[in-house]
Amino acid sequence: MTTLIEREPEFETIDLDINMGPQHPSTHGVFRMVLTVDGERVMDVVPHIGYMHRGAEKLCENMDYRQGVGYMDRTEYLGELNAELAYVIAAEKLGGLEVPERAEYMRVIGAELNRLASHFMFMGAFGADVGYFGTSFTYAFRERENIQDLLEEVCGDRIMFNYFHPGGLAWDTPPNFPERCRWVLKQVRQGIKDLDGLMTHNEIFIARCRGIGAIAKQEAIDWGVTGPTLRASGHAFDIRKEEPYSIYDRFQFDIPTGQYGDVYDRYLVRLEEMRQSVRIIEQALDQLPEGPIKPEKMPRILRPPTGEIYVRTESPRGEYGVYAISTGGAKPYRLKVRSPCFSNLSALKSMTVGSYIADAVIILGSIDIVLCEVDR
Amino acid sequence: MTSEQTATPFFVPNMPSIAEREGLAEWPGGVADLFLKAVPGLQFEAKQALIDVVISVSRGDILRVLKAAKTHAELQFDYLRSLTGVDWEDGGREVVYHLYSNSKKHNVTIKARCSNDDPHMPSAIEVWRGADWHERETFDMFGIVFDGHPNLVPILLPDDFEGIHPLLKSRPLAAIEVKQGAGSAGDDAEANE
Repeated sequence: MTTLIEREPEFETIDLDINMGPQHPSTHGVFRMVLTVDGERVMDVVPHIGYMHRGAEKLCENMDYRQGVGYMDRTEYLGELNAELAYVIAAEKLGGLEVPERAEYMRVIGAELNRLASHFMFMGAFGADVGYFGTSFTYAFRERENIQDLLEEVCGDRIMFNYFHPGGLAWDTPPNFPERCRWVLKQVRQGIKDLDGLMTHNEIFIARCRGIGAIAKQEAIDWGVTGPTLRASGHAFDIRKEEPYSIYDRFQFDIPTGQYGDVYDRYLVRLEEMRQSVRIIEQALDQLPEGPIKPEKMPRILRPPTGEIYVRTESPRGEYGVYAISTGGAKPYRLKVRSPCFSNLSALKSMTVGSYIADAVIILGSIDIVLCEVDR
Repeated sequence: MTSEQTATPFFVPNMPSIAEREGLAEWPGGVADLFLKAVPGLQFEAKQALIDVVISVSRGDILRVLKAAKTHAELQFDYLRSLTGVDWEDGGREVVYHLYSNSKKHNVTIKARCSNDDPHMPSAIEVWRGADWHERETFDMFGIVFDGHPNLVPILLPDDFEGIHPLLKSRPLAAIEVKQGAGSAGDDAEANE
């Protein structure tokens, strides 16, 4: 009786191309990757994007600087206020507008609340990838709902906020905003503790995530990777500290970094970032002044003079940049959105080759992609 | 320092630029001086924009400049933030590189133009691996062919895409062509002649 092991030399194997197609529950959106597998080991990954390309950059060339804010919402649909912030800072710097203090503080509070909401979404979705299926979602979304309710009271919408206008805010916050915000922060702190207890020291979670999908620091910088994915590899690069925009230089907060650059470190970095965001919001609430939310000399239609600017902000996924060229009209001549997930995703092959198919799902989840941003 | 190209203006003339409005100096110094030292004999134009120094070089020099930007000891731009294109219509198509140095903490914007009849540009992929997808996207949107790129296929557009590339000004947004850079939305929409 011959066994398989004896027959091995004549055993013909081929590397299969497996399509994780655009419709897939684990690809976090319409994303397609073609995995070339040898057994269960991934030999090659070819990502295909572009399923959500809606031409945001071309559309923004025909919108003036107030109308484009809605498009920025729809590119980064989990960290919208950070995307809007980049756009309105570009419009203001080009147009020479000065933003009043209250609007600046509210912007920081809004952006950090949005970062919290985005990281809660990551905890929920990533936990589902790893195997928690529904548990991590229910834990995470309880707090995310609180944040979204608060932002709905302020901005009028649960996701597509459209709240920042060039010059300041669209309208002022309701009078009970500080108390409501502090109540939400109390729930959020408890929520972070719950998620920590649920996931961080779970033996199966660690076994699935430790040592998977690591990327070295220099390679990550070469690929243009930013955000928690880069910080997990040990490089403390956060634009809020390196090139502070808005009023981030007035707040004390730390930049969490990882050590090994693997999936578990990315999770830990995001968890710690949530705590730092809570810290920033508390400081901002303490310092929140009264006052106007739009400058007095606000032109009805902003016509910035000729010039260009590249504004970079730290969105929950990395460096979200807006490159705007103005030639004197009300609409930008060229608006380029530098999306962090686009660059993070381009490094997918170097992270995934050599791991199993199940790990490929986790690695993709750990980069935390938002397809609308990748494709614009 | 003047560029080797013909005298096409980089910004639309007769409009007050931000440099004139803010009184920014002509030669920005700083990073521009480092480039003078790093690439001897280079002809380029340098301007101080609102945040970065903008350096414009000719297409023949761009690969040399990018390599020096990454490797030279005083420059060390190891992080390619963004690589994109701009369509200046008769002025050609421009490729814009935004760079940052993690060790020296300085940043720069480098631009190079190619003409509409010969839209080729050397690929920066051997300098930064991250240029890979950015160049594919610029090729999709503007039709600029990056020589030396190993896999220049459409990334955002369908593989069998044909026609005018989307972000060129000659491609209208819809059936009604809207005049660029003037007025606000709705009051200057003109039908195609």
